[in-house]
Amino acid sequence: MTKVFLLLNLEDNQNKEIVNLLEQNQFELAFAQGNIEENILQINNFLPDLILIDNKIEHCEFTLRQIKTSLKHLNIQTILLKDSDKALDFIALADGLIELPLKIDTFLFTINSHIKTKNNLDRLYENNKELSRSLYQLNVLYNTSSQFAGTLNTNKLYDIMLEAMEKTLSFDVSAVLVFNSDFKPVFSLNSLYTPTENLVDALKIRSVLNYKTIFESAPLLVQQDFENIETIQKIKQTRSNKVFGLESISFDSLFAPIKVGDDFFGVIELFRQKPFSSEDVTCFQAITHQVALPLRSAKLYEEISVANKKLEKLEKIKSEFVSIVSHELRTPLTPINNSLEIILNGQAGEITEDTRNFISMTKRNILRLSGIIEDLLDLSRIQTGKLDLKYKLSDITSSLELMQKTFEQVANEKEIKFSLLIDEKLPEVYIDSRRIEQIFTNLISNSLKFTSANGEISLGAKVIDDFEIDETKLISPIDKPNGKYIQVTVKDTGVGIKKEDIPKIFDKFSQIESTLNRNKGGVGLGLTITKQLIDSHLGLIFVDSEEKVGSEFNVLIPISDDVKTFTMDLLRSLTNNDDVGLIKINHKKDLNLIEDLKNNKMLNLSRLSKEIVIEKEDIVEYCAFIPHITLASYEAMVGLIDNYSKQINANENDIIISSLHSAKNGKDAVELVKKLGLTRG
Amino acid sequence: MKKILIADDERDIVETLAFMLRAKGFECICAYDGEEGLNLAKNENPDLVILDVMMPKINGYKICRLLKFDNKYKNIPIIMITARSQDEDKMIGEETGADEYITKPFEFSEVLEKINKYLA
Repeated sequence: MTKVFLLLNLEDNQNKEIVNLLEQNQFELAFAQGNIEENILQINNFLPDLILIDNKIEHCEFTLRQIKTSLKHLNIQTILLKDSDKALDFIALADGLIELPLKIDTFLFTINSHIKTKNNLDRLYENNKELSRSLYQLNVLYNTSSQFAGTLNTNKLYDIMLEAMEKTLSFDVSAVLVFNSDFKPVFSLNSLYTPTENLVDALKIRSVLNYKTIFESAPLLVQQDFENIETIQKIKQTRSNKVFGLESISFDSLFAPIKVGDDFFGVIELFRQKPFSSEDVTCFQAITHQVALPLRSAKLYEEISVANKKLEKLEKIKSEFVSIVSHELRTPLTPINNSLEIILNGQAGEITEDTRNFISMTKRNILRLSGIIEDLLDLSRIQTGKLDLKYKLSDITSSLELMQKTFEQVANEKEIKFSLLIDEKLPEVYIDSRRIEQIFTNLISNSLKFTSANGEISLGAKVIDDFEIDETKLISPIDKPNGKYIQVTVKDTGVGIKKEDIPKIFDKFSQIESTLNRNKGGVGLGLTITKQLIDSHLGLIFVDSEEKVGSEFNVLIPISDDVKTFTMDLLRSLTNNDDVGLIKINHKKDLNLIEDLKNNKMLNLSRLSKEIVIEKEDIVEYCAFIPHITLASYEAMVGLIDNYSKQINANENDIIISSLHSAKNGKDAVELVKKLGLTRG
Repeated sequence: MKKILIADDERDIVETLAFMLRAKGFECICAYDGEEGLNLAKNENPDLVILDVMMPKINGYKICRLLKFDNKYKNIPIIMITARSQDEDKMIGEETGADEYITKPFEFSEVLEKINKYLA
């Protein structure tokens, strides 16, 4: 029924007629009583559709203004009554006008059309409200989805979910039962006011029941022990005296499982005193759907990282174990070796020829055992990144000549012809000579092992260009061939290797698997170490072999004449890390650049531990970043800087190395530098 | 007769090494931990010192540093015996001023060669 509030003079005949008319037409009427404030209160309680106001009442204009301003939100239509011959300057304040004397048709028509307007306005207002609410929800959903995408942390995902729900649905109580990675149930309760203990228990039971309902037909994923559910409570208005008791369960509620496909994460239920609308339901479902997908990613991510960590730990334990065992084996070998030597030298008394032979045999095997231990240690060092390589600009020819000296006699004893062929003058290269010699020793020892009497072993070296290298033959190269290389070839006329076995020979313990070579001794670590050492020199290796004809091992060592490039490459390999940066900068003040670079992570330098700057007078020429610096890295730098100073014809005093880094690390670095005699001037 | 100090907590190593060195005409004094080694080095005027790196009480690097930084002893040649173990790896940067290094297990001829470099 349409409600009309009347501000009329009831003594007036025309006004009386209006009241009669309205009553006849079934309008619900209310009459103004008291002063203006009281009238406003009346209107607020009555909530009329129309207000009729006669201009002849006291303070008509003021009353109209008051109604308009204080009751704006109610869309109430105000209609002013005035005599047709009277001019009023405030008629614009009203929504409509009815002129007296009364014309019944016009009056009713005017009233009805204003009621229609009022209804339309109400609808519009309602629609607008819904629209802005939906828009808000949409906005929150949008933000939430991008937040979901930004994290793989399970707890954070649940927090984002609840936050989104609170924003969009403003629930009073939420009950979430979820399972963390090890299937431990966690019950979390978010509540506007403090919940009573009864409520917490009731909601917990309810969640468990909800959970069980979902798995009604299927066996439970997890059998839950109600007592053992971890409970987390969050209360929004802790200061309020209000509490939520059991009655909260009778609030309107929304329930959903959090799952995607067969991956089930938990259940969520929301309670709100004010009923949820259909839009709320849609929004709620959208959020629960949205959270499930990143939860699955998070779960997978967690599983992978746990597995990875386990593997890493295992690998480390293994390497450490090998290192410790090898070291422990090494110490007793020393006195054994010494004692045998004393006996062999006759220092412990005369010995027979047979004794000498057996002691010699023992000594030979002790040597072999030390070799194996050495290999094991090297491998464990390589794997843990602890192999210190001391790079220096050196002549590879002298290393090759040493090989000839070492192996010529052994070869002659086996009636194998051993030759060294170097036709050209080889350029100096950055190498750790000891390790390069280890590479050649391993290759030549293998050749000797697999070549029979009257065979031949030749050692050769030449300079080649990258385009001369057949890339398809390279054994798992760490980089593409680039620039010039020294190619060292070890060629034999031994048993050869099957084509399909060639890549396998560089695998760890490959000899153990191949019964053919079993009787030749050795655990097959030599070639694995060889490959790793070649990698550390940024080198390459390829093998040509034919069964029963012989094998040819080719080692390629890069020739670097550009200090900068070599430093970069070297630092990368030394640190086993691509986070190495070498920046050419012009002035000391540009050191700020380094800070900038670090800050915006252009070079991903955030994990830097130390820096070395090569300076010439005021000019900082190069700055090298060395994460996790080792002694070897520093020694490598010595060589580089020596070479560099020659290139720029600098006085000794012109070049200093300084560490820019944080106090502690910086101090360490400076101390190291001093020890190594790096600081000059 | 040249006097050589051998310090290593592995008695067997010290004794076999001392035996062989005596046979080569050297006088040997032996220490079985770092502290004893340092005392003998300072009080017995050895012509050369052989030091193990990992020793109880004072490690070999430290003894070496103490001797090399003391004008009175800095001219005594020092040969370090290292096992290149993990514990030693952790001491990177501690090594200072030793004249020679020998890795376990070593050949006697290797030791003798290095000694002769300084005492021949």
